[in-house]
Amino acid sequence: MKKLLTFIISILISTTVYATVPAITFVNDLTDDIIQNVLESNKSQDEKLITFRTAFEKALDLKSIGQFVLGVYWRQASETDREAFLKAFIDYTTKTWADRFNMYNGQKIIFLGTRNAERNQLYVDSQIQNNPPVEVIWRLRQKNGDFRIIDIIVEGVSMAMSYRNEYSAFLQAHAGKVSALTKELEEKSASFQFSDTTQN
Amino acid sequence: MRRYHFVFLIGILFCLGACATKPTDPLALQQYEANNDPLEPLNRQIFAFNMAADEYVLTPIAKGYRFVMPEPLRQGVLNFFANLEQPVYFANATLQAEGKDMSAAFQRFMVNTFWGMFGLFDVASDMEIHKPDNDFGQTLAVWGWHSPGPFLVLPFLGPSNPRDAIGLGVDSFVSPLGYALDEKFWLVYAVTGVEMFAKYEDAMDFLHNMMKTSTDTYAMMRTMSQQNRQKKIDESLGIKDEKPSYDFDFPEDEDF
Repeated sequence: MKKLLTFIISILISTTVYATVPAITFVNDLTDDIIQNVLESNKSQDEKLITFRTAFEKALDLKSIGQFVLGVYWRQASETDREAFLKAFIDYTTKTWADRFNMYNGQKIIFLGTRNAERNQLYVDSQIQNNPPVEVIWRLRQKNGDFRIIDIIVEGVSMAMSYRNEYSAFLQAHAGKVSALTKELEEKSASFQFSDTTQN
Repeated sequence: MRRYHFVFLIGILFCLGACATKPTDPLALQQYEANNDPLEPLNRQIFAFNMAADEYVLTPIAKGYRFVMPEPLRQGVLNFFANLEQPVYFANATLQAEGKDMSAAFQRFMVNTFWGMFGLFDVASDMEIHKPDNDFGQTLAVWGWHSPGPFLVLPFLGPSNPRDAIGLGVDSFVSPLGYALDEKFWLVYAVTGVEMFAKYEDAMDFLHNMMKTSTDTYAMMRTMSQQNRQKKIDESLGIKDEKPSYDFDFPEDEDF
């Protein structure tokens, strides 16, 4: 009886582990790709940005994130405003995140496991090996065995929530005009300069 | 004794003035309540002051500091001040009954003071002793003060709230620096000034990155500091693996 129980439990454990591993592999592939082909490569800044953008856009569900960050303003916006905003948002977010990833100094990222969230979502828990360690949680949406990242939570700070907060403050100050936000993002994107990481 | 608690007291007194008007629109009201920032107009003014201090005073000094002090020396300065914080962490870890943090803070202080040349070298990290950061704001939370009160921006010190601002003041009394330097107030002010500056310099690149990338730096800084602080408080309350309290409200059947 005891043996049977152990057997059943071990099967249960191994199947949950098996079912959650693809999510970890998915995130791990992305971080490996960015570290190897962007951060530690000798390409030019422009080439690096293109490589980063391809990986970032493939792994992240930026359309859904863009829709989420507009919050209530998404529903009020016209179809043209929505499309223009998404384009500007994706363009600008990719640049700013490429810039942020540049602060990475070769620390190891370890994956701690996964947790199920509501509906078809799950979290992948990871840690950047630092002292103190930096906690990074990846919020994933699953569909037909495929994954997309819908949020990155670093030390408790959610990327999606932060954008949503920031943009709603901006939109409140601009009479709720999504086109004003789009214009602002386009301008910022055009004049964006990458941080000088050699100074440190 | 470190006197920056004095600065935040002045800050709180100022806050008795301007308040934001509560919006009537239900959606705007929801946002207003989530932000927990009834003093927004005043906070934005103090924030603007801090940003001006950053631009005209702190950044130029930091550039000079980086020019004359190579990275290892700057790290030494940070290590030195971090070491002086360990007794504060130890006291708070004791009050929070966090045994692991207590022993880490004690070991760090001993190891780095004696083997790390009064804290200039972080030998404890080489020995893989973890870095605690137990402050009195967390202690107050552990003691039952769960909701921190409205968002506050303190002059020079940045984002806070009543609970954590009081915590900061209490912690400054516990710091050994004040006792070591005894009655020489000018020296305490000077050393505290250097400490605050060194910490600022360490965080400066991140701050500038936020200023460069955000469309409303104040709102960005507010939400990030609130979320980050909440995580630390949750940890000291023993709430682990808490799922974020928001839902992705986009249509379920949408394609990737």
